[in-house]
Amino acid sequence: MNTPRAGKGRTSRGWAAAGVLLLLLAWHVAARQLGPLLMATPWEALCAIGPLVSSDRFFAHAGLSLMRIGVGVLAGASIGFTLGVLAGHSTRLRGLIEPLRWLLMALPPVVVVVLAMLWFGLGSPMVVFITTLMMAPGMYVNTVKGMLHVDRQLVEMTHVYRYGAWLRLRHLYLPALSAPLLAALLIATCGGVRLVVMAEVLGAENGVGYALANARSTFDTAELFAWVLLILGLVAMLEFALLQPLQRRLGRWMEPSHA
Amino acid sequence: MLEMQALSLRYGDQAVLEDIDLRLAPGERVGLLGPSGAGKSSLLRLAAGLLPPSGGQLRNTFRCPVLMFQEPRLLPWRHALDNVALPLRAAGHAAARAEAIAHDWLARVGLDRAMRAWPGELSGGMAQRVSLARALALAPDLLLLDEPFSALDPALRLQLSACCHKEMAARKSALLCISHDPHELLGLVDRCVLVQHGRLTPIPLGGPIGSPQRTADADRLRAVLLDTRAQP
Repeated sequence: MNTPRAGKGRTSRGWAAAGVLLLLLAWHVAARQLGPLLMATPWEALCAIGPLVSSDRFFAHAGLSLMRIGVGVLAGASIGFTLGVLAGHSTRLRGLIEPLRWLLMALPPVVVVVLAMLWFGLGSPMVVFITTLMMAPGMYVNTVKGMLHVDRQLVEMTHVYRYGAWLRLRHLYLPALSAPLLAALLIATCGGVRLVVMAEVLGAENGVGYALANARSTFDTAELFAWVLLILGLVAMLEFALLQPLQRRLGRWMEPSHA
Repeated sequence: MLEMQALSLRYGDQAVLEDIDLRLAPGERVGLLGPSGAGKSSLLRLAAGLLPPSGGQLRNTFRCPVLMFQEPRLLPWRHALDNVALPLRAAGHAAARAEAIAHDWLARVGLDRAMRAWPGELSGGMAQRVSLARALALAPDLLLLDEPFSALDPALRLQLSACCHKEMAARKSALLCISHDPHELLGLVDRCVLVQHGRLTPIPLGGPIGSPQRTADADRLRAVLLDTRAQP
């Protein structure tokens, strides 16, 4: 018989660290096998970060990509959330939006990238457009799902006490939706970073993706992997320093202090 | 003034309330009695504007009608104080004023020490007291009570019922109350109506609240209730 353990739901930090070490080891072995032209070792990539960060072009590329990620994810999440709240209230609107939601979720991102390059040309509008378009459906689906599960008794209570639209959104729907919304935001943010980089690789004249493509074409494998490490660092920072603390803060009411 | 004329309510093909005539003047307190499924709660929900009537006329000119539910229905992610203060803010009070009123009401229902408690940390009785404070803090001119004290122990039920009566009498607010407990009901209302098979029948009472005749009234109401339960 299994004995229940405290903190069973939490990820073990020790094992997570062991997992990271295992990945680094696998990376190192693979790099040794493939050779320096095809794959840099973790140490070589780490050493390449210093010169990369101190170069003039680093902040220009990184800043531009961060701006594109921020605007794209924010716009996609806002559009998805707003449409989700409205569709959560109206079955007609939900029916109207469903085909578009299905289309956007089924469409391979690379098709959207190619089309957006034709429509917008190379540069920020194209990257932001793609990110927004690809991020919105995930947020929309989670919002609608959350809206349909909001406690009907609480909704009725807010009607009895004549909560206005803003109070209802702020104190009923947003807290009730916080778990699915934060999960969607996490997926959107991580997905947004990957999408922006991919769009920049395929069709931009600046940004991290462009710098990656440039390093690839000049066979500077160490720099290419240094960029990869920096992107991973950015995703980790967004997840562990921003979204997870936010999730903990919003879920405080679920952990009674018994004070 | 709450006025229902030839009011009816249907859920699909099923008639829940039929040909309802009820008039509630300001300050008047009416009790609704009847077996489960007779339509009492539906009547209250119609009065609160939560349901549209299927037929007839409904006129509610009360400025601030409030329905207090059988369950506390507190926002689990807001402290007890916020749960009382938010409806006040919805009613137009500034945040600081709303918090002061909420603070005062929570103290009046004996929850001075639970202002910052999450609803999940409160016992059933404490949560229902927060719910009562939330309803009374708005100073409603019509209070609709749907068996709000039924899940509480007798002592607490008596205490909250008395608090409610005192407040309603002081403000001269109207009251429409459902209860399965004749004693509780007779401590709150001036007259009683039986709801059965979707229709209303007045039950005459012997005397005003607190009078000795109310003991006999309680026995009679209990007999009426038993009689309705015995009927198919």
